[in-house]
Amino acid sequence: MIIQIILLSGLVLFSILAILLKDLLKSALSLAVASLFLGIIFFRLGAPYAGVFEISVVAGLITVLFALTVALTRKDSEVQEARLTRLVFPLFFVIFLIIDGLVMKSLLQQVPALPTGPETGSFGEVLWKARTFDLVAQLGVILAGVLAVLALFRKKEEDKDE
Amino acid sequence: MVFSFIFIPLLIAACLPLIGKVSKKIIPDVLTNTTLAFLLLNSILLVKPVFSRGSLLQNINWFGELVNLQIALDGFSLLMLFTISLVSLCITLFSIDYLKHYGHQANFYALLLVMVAGMNGLVLVPDLFSVYLFLEVAAVASYALVAFGLGPEELEASFKYLMLSVVASAFILLSITVIFGLTGSLSFQAVARGLQDLNASLVLGVCLAFFIMGFGLKAALVPFHAWLPDAHPSAPAPISAMLSGLLIKVSGIYALFRIVYSVVGMTPALSKVLMAMGAISIVVAALLALGQNDVKRMLAYSSISQVGYIILGLAIGTPLGIAGGLFHLFNHAVAKGLLFLNSGSIQHITGTRNLNELGGLGKKVPVTAGTNLIGALSIAGVPPLAGFWSKLIIIIALIQADHFGYALVAILASILTLWYYLLIQRKAFFGPLNDRWLKIKEAPFWMTAANVILALLCLLVGIFFSPVFKTWIAPAADALARGVQQVLMWGI
Repeated sequence: MIIQIILLSGLVLFSILAILLKDLLKSALSLAVASLFLGIIFFRLGAPYAGVFEISVVAGLITVLFALTVALTRKDSEVQEARLTRLVFPLFFVIFLIIDGLVMKSLLQQVPALPTGPETGSFGEVLWKARTFDLVAQLGVILAGVLAVLALFRKKEEDKDE
Repeated sequence: MVFSFIFIPLLIAACLPLIGKVSKKIIPDVLTNTTLAFLLLNSILLVKPVFSRGSLLQNINWFGELVNLQIALDGFSLLMLFTISLVSLCITLFSIDYLKHYGHQANFYALLLVMVAGMNGLVLVPDLFSVYLFLEVAAVASYALVAFGLGPEELEASFKYLMLSVVASAFILLSITVIFGLTGSLSFQAVARGLQDLNASLVLGVCLAFFIMGFGLKAALVPFHAWLPDAHPSAPAPISAMLSGLLIKVSGIYALFRIVYSVVGMTPALSKVLMAMGAISIVVAALLALGQNDVKRMLAYSSISQVGYIILGLAIGTPLGIAGGLFHLFNHAVAKGLLFLNSGSIQHITGTRNLNELGGLGKKVPVTAGTNLIGALSIAGVPPLAGFWSKLIIIIALIQADHFGYALVAILASILTLWYYLLIQRKAFFGPLNDRWLKIKEAPFWMTAANVILALLCLLVGIFFSPVFKTWIAPAADALARGVQQVLMWGI
């Protein structure tokens, strides 16, 4: 139960960070961490396929594309986070925890248990043995993203050279 | 051997940007064309095994350990692989000279090969989520290729294409998620088996509606066509040819009909919906094409109209209708590839695509004019060219299935098609020669050669229609006509 609470709190914390942070790279990394928490939660709830998709596609693939695009396009200057962000974020988090503590327990008890599906296996088995082709396709998407950035930002490089 | 369709283009694409640092032009040109020629040869060599066994199911071992790298090849997927390799090869041959204008050949070819790998992967994987992922591989590469010129028009078209394509992907993914929830599996075989035992027609109907919206957007079927007339004309000519000739067919038509026939199973209600959408696309897009002055924009509307023919044929549900639809898919890929490349030649020669500024070019550039005429007449369905046979088969199939109204629509729309293609001929190649074009000459060698190869294909496929039909189209149509049984038989 404690682990579940830590995971859920981490998910909410990093999701809010992903929205509030102004620095795009930090925001993308926060989203990746939030996805990682969500993937672990899926896996613990007995949905390894959903967990694998969440971790490999959202936490892995999309983050690589975000980070790559941000790294290649952003200006060198540091992004200053607004003071409001730093104040609002803890407030948001506390409000969420209060609502969660008061409402979620009774709400969750009303949700019927899901029928167990045929998907089984450990995280490693699902990722490496059941969904291997997805990894190849994800490599393809990353490659396409890298090549797209190289192709579309080429003019900028030429301008810089001039 | 079958895995090479995915891994070789990906591998070469990964190496090309580095090779481009050493050799800016010759090695990227040679490497890309050799890769696609190899894939074309590979697809031809696979005809015999697929013909004799009906389908091939292959697995790869990773350092002795069994991993789930499984692909399934049957007549339908082989036809798609052959079409992709053939048209892509002609497009890269054309690009040898055409890309001098843009530069950065290595990057361009790398993206094009990723797109080819994505399309090949989509055609080969027997799993819904992998289909979605390979769809995205091809799509991400295509967004960048549409914007490759970096002009405001290209960037806007690419953005519009990206936005609508993401909506399409969301619908497809949502539908896959629901099917996964219903059947607990994603592989074609398990989903097909699971859906047979399941009584969930309402939920399945919603899933199919989402699939039609998603893949309909990818195939630019009316009313989901808004992105295509902007994206296709704005892209460089070889990419317009790739998108109109191949991508809309693979990521739209192939994926939709593979799922409809082989996974879910075609129903009379679904057949009616798809046939109605096909017929509306044929008529609406043909009428819209008539009012265009930009050659490529007219061709883009023509693509929407011809996709309508393909859908109409495939949706009839009879073996003859499916064969007609698939044959038209192949013929349209070749002829529309030719016409978009040809429009690139026209733009290269004159610097414009506006039909009102052209005129009398036939006297100065007879090869470009001749190949354009062959492509146009093939799509319009004039005998003995390839497009005539496929349209004839679709119309006969419609009459056999007692769909006389649709048959009449198909015939009348063919006249409309001929009309707007003759408009291109009259405005661009016939009539008095404008003084501006007195000094023009034919496009460079490789551009003209690619046009001639595709034009010869339109002609030869029409003349030797019977062997082509028996070798490529009939096995593909059989694979689809067997319906769900086709995927249930895989590996047995």
